[in-house]
Amino acid sequence: MDLQLRIAGAAGQGVETTGDLLVEAFAALGLHVFATQTYMSRIRGGVNWFDIRIADGELFSLRQHADLLVALSKEALEWLRGEVADPGVTLFNGSDGPGVTAIGFEQIAKELGGSAIMANTVAAGAVLAALGYEVSRLEELLRDRFARKGEEVVAANLRCVRKGAELASAQAGRLQAPRPVGAPTAICSGNEAVGLGAATAGVKFVASYPMTPSTGVFTFLASAADEYGIVVEQAEDEIAAINMVCGATYAGVPAMTTTSGGGFALMVEGVALAGMLELPAFIFLGQRPGPATGLPTRTAQQDLKFAINAGHGEFAKAVFAPGTPQQCYDLTRHGLELAHRYQTPVILMSDQFLADMRKNCTGLDTSYRPINRHIVENLGGDYLRYAVTESGVSPRALPGGEAFVTVDSDEHTEDGHITEDLEARIRLQDKRMRKLEGMRAETLPPAWHGPPEAGHVLICWGSTYGPCREAVERLNAAGQPTAMLHFSQVWPLRGEPIREALGDRRVTCVEGNATGQFASVLREVGVLSDCELMLRYDGLPFTGEEIAERVRG
Amino acid sequence: MNKHFFDSDIAWCPGCGDFPILRTLDKAIAAAGVDRKKLVLVSGIGQAAKLPHYTQANVFNGLHGRALPAAVGIKLANHELEVVITSGDGDMYGEGGNHFLHNLRRNVGVKAFVHNNQVYGLTKGQASPTSDLGFVTKVQPHGVISPAFNPMALAVVEDCSFVARSFAGDPQHLQEMMVAALQHRGGFALLDILQPCVTFNKVNTYQWYRQRVRKVEASHDPYDRAKALDLACKWGEEIPIGILYLSKRPSFEEQQVVLRRGRLVGQFADQ
Repeated sequence: MDLQLRIAGAAGQGVETTGDLLVEAFAALGLHVFATQTYMSRIRGGVNWFDIRIADGELFSLRQHADLLVALSKEALEWLRGEVADPGVTLFNGSDGPGVTAIGFEQIAKELGGSAIMANTVAAGAVLAALGYEVSRLEELLRDRFARKGEEVVAANLRCVRKGAELASAQAGRLQAPRPVGAPTAICSGNEAVGLGAATAGVKFVASYPMTPSTGVFTFLASAADEYGIVVEQAEDEIAAINMVCGATYAGVPAMTTTSGGGFALMVEGVALAGMLELPAFIFLGQRPGPATGLPTRTAQQDLKFAINAGHGEFAKAVFAPGTPQQCYDLTRHGLELAHRYQTPVILMSDQFLADMRKNCTGLDTSYRPINRHIVENLGGDYLRYAVTESGVSPRALPGGEAFVTVDSDEHTEDGHITEDLEARIRLQDKRMRKLEGMRAETLPPAWHGPPEAGHVLICWGSTYGPCREAVERLNAAGQPTAMLHFSQVWPLRGEPIREALGDRRVTCVEGNATGQFASVLREVGVLSDCELMLRYDGLPFTGEEIAERVRG
Repeated sequence: MNKHFFDSDIAWCPGCGDFPILRTLDKAIAAAGVDRKKLVLVSGIGQAAKLPHYTQANVFNGLHGRALPAAVGIKLANHELEVVITSGDGDMYGEGGNHFLHNLRRNVGVKAFVHNNQVYGLTKGQASPTSDLGFVTKVQPHGVISPAFNPMALAVVEDCSFVARSFAGDPQHLQEMMVAALQHRGGFALLDILQPCVTFNKVNTYQWYRQRVRKVEASHDPYDRAKALDLACKWGEEIPIGILYLSKRPSFEEQQVVLRRGRLVGQFADQ
């Protein structure tokens, strides 16, 4: 039993505020919630919407059609009324029309709250009542949220909620709403989870240039900086950001940068620098559709091969692609640990869908638990920064101790100094590349969902996890045995176990790009000879129902 | 191949202005009382950027144009380290121009010693951002037509906390300037060093500079921004050397809330 609502309006109308308020209210009721935003690249006007799906079981993706549309502007109504399910309810911030219930959200907010800003509170009250839910939890949330602004602000918000609820209560019963089931009341978003994962793991330095959809991680870390002890600096450009991160890691602090495709393109020389200097640089890459500026506020999985291959020359690198906010948190920590154990850059890939995704979670650990940096005490003697070892990992000391720590972007000898000795070149290059073999041996295995004997396997990576997961459930429920294999680490890969797991089953790669990049990577590592592709690259995320329908043909 | 031939050999031409800069830097480090174990020399790419390999210090030899952001990252991670950039005009003012501009504003306490020879040496003689008008090269056969970049004037305008110029041909003056920069505690220090390139710049020779450099008079008040700008704009028949400008504005580290608690690298485990 699930239901989807869509809050839509112009940028600046409080679409996100209303959505966030409702997400919290639904979670507080004990419902499973899954939400994300779709917005245009503008600060005012246009049509933005916030989708919230609620259910009595765990949710993994959205549906295309909304059962309940709240249209805050005429444009929003015109754009989206065609995607309202039947039966459905549409609440419109205007006048009544066929199939449309008018509620003057802004008018009521002005009258009862003294400000049009409270239109989102009116809307939240109306939505809850239209679905037949109590508004008391929402009232508690508003009391908490506005307590420091004084009694009058709280009272005004409560008046708005109650009026919205009163006007929409006639709609109750038109839609069958799921019953609360005691789902986790905490809500996490993909970007917050990355930020919290980094702060708790001991990231001490962040340098970034803002770029959608990665900016949420940057702002989260800025808001957490004083509490966790992080220097967060807005760099003049992405080139500065990655080079500042390289400097900070050399001096011994875990450091990271956040960016999207175009900014990452600028960073790429610095990624190679981290590879050559053997520095644990951590890069959060939030994808959006390219090439060039592309669709700045939409979603895509188009930078996979770019990320895997980023950097001139050859060096060890790991690339992770979480599928849920929980995985964002876990893999940020794991990625930072791996970067430090192998002294090499690690990239965590997300995208706008996952960045803005909000979902119930059992509560992410906010306690500070610094990772092991694998630093050796700098005691001097004959310390060599790049001592050749079997694993390729050299003891890492920090500058400021007894021995000098020398690092050079030129090829260098074990002591870090520039060389053109070609035997040293082979020795050091082999040492660096041996780290990749160690990393490959501990690559996270892909996760299998669905019946073990299923004859058809959907392969996916990153944020496509949820939509595929729902599709698998739908297909199996419909008597079509289907499984999925989700990769949360996309580089390096171990081909053999994947090949064995797949056997001679029918395989479809489900990806948010136009060329099937992961299928290509799987061919490169000898997993697939060929496979079917299910691609989407219009800037919107897959839905579970869409994947299931496309599988059925 | 003979490894030792490549590794022990300094890559500079005999007579290069980089040699006196290297010798003077060694003396200045001692004179300023800098502990070499706490010293990090940061450079980008170019002939000047090789300097860190020829002395005793921690070394971060990074990418072309990116010495500044790397140095800033190091300093913010551990602000008890003395972080000194030794790189060229192409590296600092050309490829790294945006970092130069914004680090004048940021005012992190790193010291930039810019070997300014007004030419690209490592790539064999093209114009640099500081090449004079009319400077002829294989790439600019009709002479440079864009006016020279003025790092001193820009630094004064941007309220850089320490702005000085010296000349590789006057080691005593150079040492004084280096010591003053090393001992400066107010934030970013820029020391532009006029450095003859004996191979690719036949115009701005030791003699050319020697005839033009004039020490800033003792009466000059370096906190007087208008006078400092006046000095910074002088070039040609007369080139002022010395401390042109000092600002009293606070450093980045002093203002950064988290850094007031101590070294960032120390806060990692202590929290």
